[in-house]
Amino acid sequence: MSLRQRLFRLPRYLGASGSPRRLWWSPSLDTISLVGSWRGQSSRSPAHWNQVVSEAEKIVGYPTSFMSLRCLLSDELSNIAMQVRKLVGTQHPLLTTARGLVYDSRHNLQLRGLVVLLISKAAGPSSMKASCQNYDMVSGIYSCQRSLAEITELIHTALLVHRGIVNLNELQSSDGPLKDMQFGNKIAILSGDFLLANACNGLALLQNTKVVELLASALMDLVQGVYHENSTSAKENYITDDIGISTWKEQTFLSHGALLAKSCQAAMELAKHGAEVQDMAFQYGKHMAMSHKINSDLQPFIKEKTSDSTTFHLNSAPVVLHQEFLGRDLWIKQIGELRETIKAGKGVTSAIDLCRYHGNKALEALESFPPSEARSALENIVFAVTRFS
Amino acid sequence: MRQARGLSVVLRDVQASQRSIALIAEMIHTASLVHDDVIDDARSRRGKHTVNKIWGEKKAVLAGDLILSAASIALARIGNTTVISILTQVIEDLVRGEFLQLGSKENENERFAHYLEKTFKKTASLIANSCKAVSVLGCPDPVVHEIAYQYGKNVGIAFQLIDDVLDFTSCSDQMGKPTSADLKLGLATGPVLFACQQFPEMNAMIMRRFSLPGDVDRARQYVLQSDGVQQTTYLAQRYCHEAVREISKLRPSPERDALIQLSEIVLTRDK
Repeated sequence: MSLRQRLFRLPRYLGASGSPRRLWWSPSLDTISLVGSWRGQSSRSPAHWNQVVSEAEKIVGYPTSFMSLRCLLSDELSNIAMQVRKLVGTQHPLLTTARGLVYDSRHNLQLRGLVVLLISKAAGPSSMKASCQNYDMVSGIYSCQRSLAEITELIHTALLVHRGIVNLNELQSSDGPLKDMQFGNKIAILSGDFLLANACNGLALLQNTKVVELLASALMDLVQGVYHENSTSAKENYITDDIGISTWKEQTFLSHGALLAKSCQAAMELAKHGAEVQDMAFQYGKHMAMSHKINSDLQPFIKEKTSDSTTFHLNSAPVVLHQEFLGRDLWIKQIGELRETIKAGKGVTSAIDLCRYHGNKALEALESFPPSEARSALENIVFAVTRFS
Repeated sequence: MRQARGLSVVLRDVQASQRSIALIAEMIHTASLVHDDVIDDARSRRGKHTVNKIWGEKKAVLAGDLILSAASIALARIGNTTVISILTQVIEDLVRGEFLQLGSKENENERFAHYLEKTFKKTASLIANSCKAVSVLGCPDPVVHEIAYQYGKNVGIAFQLIDDVLDFTSCSDQMGKPTSADLKLGLATGPVLFACQQFPEMNAMIMRRFSLPGDVDRARQYVLQSDGVQQTTYLAQRYCHEAVREISKLRPSPERDALIQLSEIVLTRDK
C-alpha cells in the first residue's frame, strides 16, 4: 500500500463512532508536514477561535456540531420539524432557537460536548484500567464518555428550547396571534421534553448511578439558573438587578458553569479516575465555562464596529461590576448613556481581568493532567476565550 | 386516586428504597401534569388553578423540569441501575405518548390500537413500571416482577378508560375540571371510537379533531346516544379482571387484598 493510500484511510483510524462521517481532512502529501508540526503549533497561542475548535475536533475524531440533534434520527424528527415549520412567520422564540441550532453560529458549536470529549482524552485511562477492560475505546476516548458528551449537549439544548417559552398574558399585539404563541409553546415544551427523555435514557444506559446523580443535579442547577435569568424582565431595561458580582457569579455558575463542570467530573468517574482527578476536571469545566460566559458578555463592549442595534444584557459581568463600582442610584441615572459610559469605565477591564482569572484557574486545573494533544487543545480553548485584542 | 397509586406499590416490610420509588413516581407524574397543563392551556385541575395560570407558562415549564430533576436525583441515590433503567423508560413513554396524541390515524382500525398505545404510554407505563421497580427492589424472582408489571399495566389502562368515560358522564362540579375536555382538545377517546362504529358520520369530525363550531356538542350527543360509554366501561372491567388475575398469583396477604380492592375502586369511582 502506498503512503497516499495509507493517508486516505487515516481518518477512519482516528476513530469516528457510529455512522460514517464526511471526511473533514482531505489527505495529501502536504498534510504530512501539518501533522508533524502540530506539537510545535500548540505551544503558541492560537489566533482564532474557529481554528482552536477545528483542531480540537480533529483530536476527538469527528465534528461535534449537531451532536444533540442526532437523537432526532427517528420518527419524531419529521414530527418536530413539521411542527416547527408551522411556526415560520410567527414571532415565537422557538423559531430563533431552532435557527440558531442549525445555522453556523457559536450556538451549534456544541462546545460542552467537545470539552467533555477532550477532557476524557486528556485524562487518559486511569490506574483502574482493568475495570474498564470491557469498554470500547476509540481515539483515546471510551464510548461511554462519548455518550456522556451527547447527553450533556442534550440537556443544554433542552433547556435552550425551554427558555423560549412565552408567557401568554404578557403578549402584546406586536407579537402576533395568540394561537401562534400557544402552538409554539406546545412544540417547545414537547421538543424540550423529548430531548430530556433521551438524555435520561442515555444516562440509564451508562449503568453508573453516581454519573446519573451528577447530571441530574446539573440539570437542577441549570433550571434554577434559567429561573434567575427570567426573574429580570428583559423589556424593562432600566430596572436591573441590584446584585453584586458575587451573586452574579453564583447565578452564572448555576446557569452556565454547573453543567459543564459536572459533566467533566462525570467523564472522569466513568473512566474510574480518583476523587482528585474528578475535582480537577470539575474545576476546569467550571472555570472555563465562567470565562467563556464573561467573554460572551464582553463582546458588545469591545468590538470595533458597534452598531446601535447590538444589544447587551444588563445582567452581564461588565455591567454588574460597573454598578458595584458606581453605586445603584447613580447607575440608574446613567441608563441613558449606557454603552459608552461602560466602555469608558473600569467595568470592561475588570471583567477582562475576571475572565482571565477564571482562565488561569482552568489552566491550573489542567496541570494535573498528563501533557497530550487533547490537553493542549483544552489549553488553547482557554487562550482563545481570554484573548481580547 | 393518584396518591392511592403510591400505596399500591407497597409490599410487605417496605424498604426505604421502595418508599422512595413511590415518591419518585408521584414526582414524575406531577412534572408531566404541570407540562400537560401548559400544553393544553388548562385553567384548572382538580378544582384548583393550574400552575401556568397563577405563575405563567415560563415558570410552569421550569417547575416541571425542576421536579423531574429532583426525581432523577432521588432515583440515582437508590443506587440500583436496573431500577433507573425501568423508570427512565417511563419518562420516554410519557413524551412519546404526548406526541402520539398530536398525530392521528386515518384508518378506523388503526385508531383503536393507536388510542390504546397512547393510553399505555401516557398513563399505564408509569404505574406498570413503578410496580415493577419496587418488586425488583423487594425480591429477585423475575416471575414476581412480571406479575407486578402486568398488574400495574392493566390497572393503569383501566383507570384511563374510566377517566375517558367520566369525561362524558359526570358533570363539571364533580370532576373538578370541565367535561368534554377531551373533545375540546380534539381527542377521540374510547367512548367516541366505539360510538363511531354505530354512527359513521362521526368520522369526519374525528379527522378534523372536532374543530368546527358545533362539533363538540354533536359528538357528545352521538356518544350519549350510542353504547360507547358502556363498551368502554366493559373494556375497563376486562382489564381490571386481568389485573386481579395476575395479582392473585401472589400469596394471600392484606396488601394483596388492598390491591384487589384498588382495582375495584378504579371501576367504581365517579371523579
